[in-house]
Amino acid sequence: MSAGTARAPADALTPRTPLARVAGWGRSDRGAQAASVLTALVFWQLIGMRYERIPTPAEVAEFFWSQASSGVLWAAFANTLDGFFVGLAIALVVGIALGLALGLSNAVRSFLNDIVVVGLAVPGVIWALLAILWFGFSFKAPVAAVAMTATPFIAVQVAQGVRGTSRELMRMSTAFGVPWHKRIRHLVLPSVMDYVFAGFRFAVIMGWNAVLLAEWFGGRAGVGFQTRTWYDANNFTGFVSWVLFFIVFIVLLDRLVLERVARRTFRWRAQATPTTRGGA
Amino acid sequence: MSGAVASGPRVEGRDRREAAIGRRARQAALVVAGWLAFLGFWTYASNNLVNPFILPTPAKVLDEMWTIVSTGELFEHFQWSLMKTFVGFGLAVAIGLPIGMLMGTSRWWRAYFHMPVTIAGNIPGITYAVLALVIFGISLEGPILAVALISMPYIAINVAAGLDGIDRGLLQMSHAFGRSGRDILRHVLIPTVIPFVFAGVRLSFALAWKVEAITEVFGSSNGIGYMIRHSYDQFSVAGILAWMFFFVIFIVLMERFVLQAAERRLFRWRPAEVTS
Repeated sequence: MSAGTARAPADALTPRTPLARVAGWGRSDRGAQAASVLTALVFWQLIGMRYERIPTPAEVAEFFWSQASSGVLWAAFANTLDGFFVGLAIALVVGIALGLALGLSNAVRSFLNDIVVVGLAVPGVIWALLAILWFGFSFKAPVAAVAMTATPFIAVQVAQGVRGTSRELMRMSTAFGVPWHKRIRHLVLPSVMDYVFAGFRFAVIMGWNAVLLAEWFGGRAGVGFQTRTWYDANNFTGFVSWVLFFIVFIVLLDRLVLERVARRTFRWRAQATPTTRGGA
Repeated sequence: MSGAVASGPRVEGRDRREAAIGRRARQAALVVAGWLAFLGFWTYASNNLVNPFILPTPAKVLDEMWTIVSTGELFEHFQWSLMKTFVGFGLAVAIGLPIGMLMGTSRWWRAYFHMPVTIAGNIPGITYAVLALVIFGISLEGPILAVALISMPYIAINVAAGLDGIDRGLLQMSHAFGRSGRDILRHVLIPTVIPFVFAGVRLSFALAWKVEAITEVFGSSNGIGYMIRHSYDQFSVAGILAWMFFFVIFIVLMERFVLQAAERRLFRWRPAEVTS
């Protein structure tokens, strides 16, 4: 994903016979990545053939197809996403508010910092189990598990961003009597955006973990519940397929969506830098 | 703080010191007030707002913690969890060190391992827990494997970054004086890389400790995660909270004191700005 187009220097010198072209491509970064995926698949196939319990890639693909065409896959996925997004939304609102308070006021920071640190150290599985005991086997449990796991991460990042905001500008806007809500909107928020984003990206991974754990231990539906069901049924093809499904989802979400959005959102920065430097 | 501008330098210094002491005292008071408010709200909530079974009072949880300490359960299960975590780190170093050295010395291998390493470091902990459950069932090896898999990417990436900064002059001189590859590995590469292995362990410690506990919740017959699961199976919120606090206290103590002190020792020979 990073530097895909770079070629080995030898590539430019060798005559462009097809074989040489293949060899050159094999030496490039993209060739290395392809080799990496290929090794993983071959390794998986061999393990699947060697051990009875572990399914081969073909068996998993077949199972996926049956789940997708019968609609089970999409129903469970929608159910999980529902709880996941509601929990993340709560975490974002509470986390940003908490982070702003922690970053802007020294008093609030002394008052609450230890409790946020404790929140960071509690593993998702404890939040998930507590959420089930507190909210029962309902929709609320996964939502609460996601919100409780993700909030401290967003709060800490936002607080760090606020503390990095230019003190000069803060002091000037105080001196010129800019009201506090305008100060937050025009000065603090733009400068904490990438911290919010970093916190959010981390919260997405943590939250996905928490929602699956809550569904595994106390769900009636969803991806985590399906994984649990196939595990309890001792059907490893079904189990491995569902596990792969939730891994692939989070990897794609992180690499393809969040990384790209981050690049788009902060596009202005690369262009803005030379101008300011030229002006100064 | 700037109220003493007009007075002499000595008075100003004393004022500033007093102000600093006052500030620190106020901060300490706020920290204490924060904890008291938290505990007060918790007690109030469990007495008046919800069923005490759903949320036991802090006193009840403290009592539970004392029971866990006095019966020796704490020591026994911490021992198991720690043992599994350290063996897991050993395995992670054994796998991550060669991968990191390949990534740090060859562009092709860097591209080859880039995707698997970033994916392995970024997927949710439940993946490792269920993976360990499938491969080993209820076992000692499961949590060890989970710790190894989650911390290996951090070690590999740090070692690769460490090799980027290796002293090229020293390498060239070693070649010029005809040192064997094994000598170079032993006297140049390994000493350069060791602190970075440690940095990887330190960075992934909290994560590995959490994943170890998750794996024990899924399938184990001892360790902290097993006791958390045990409390959950008995619907004991007090038990879960008690173990949770031990868990958190351990992470905080480990990060604040042990790992930071050890890192300072290991990096003592280097100039200060490289450490940070």
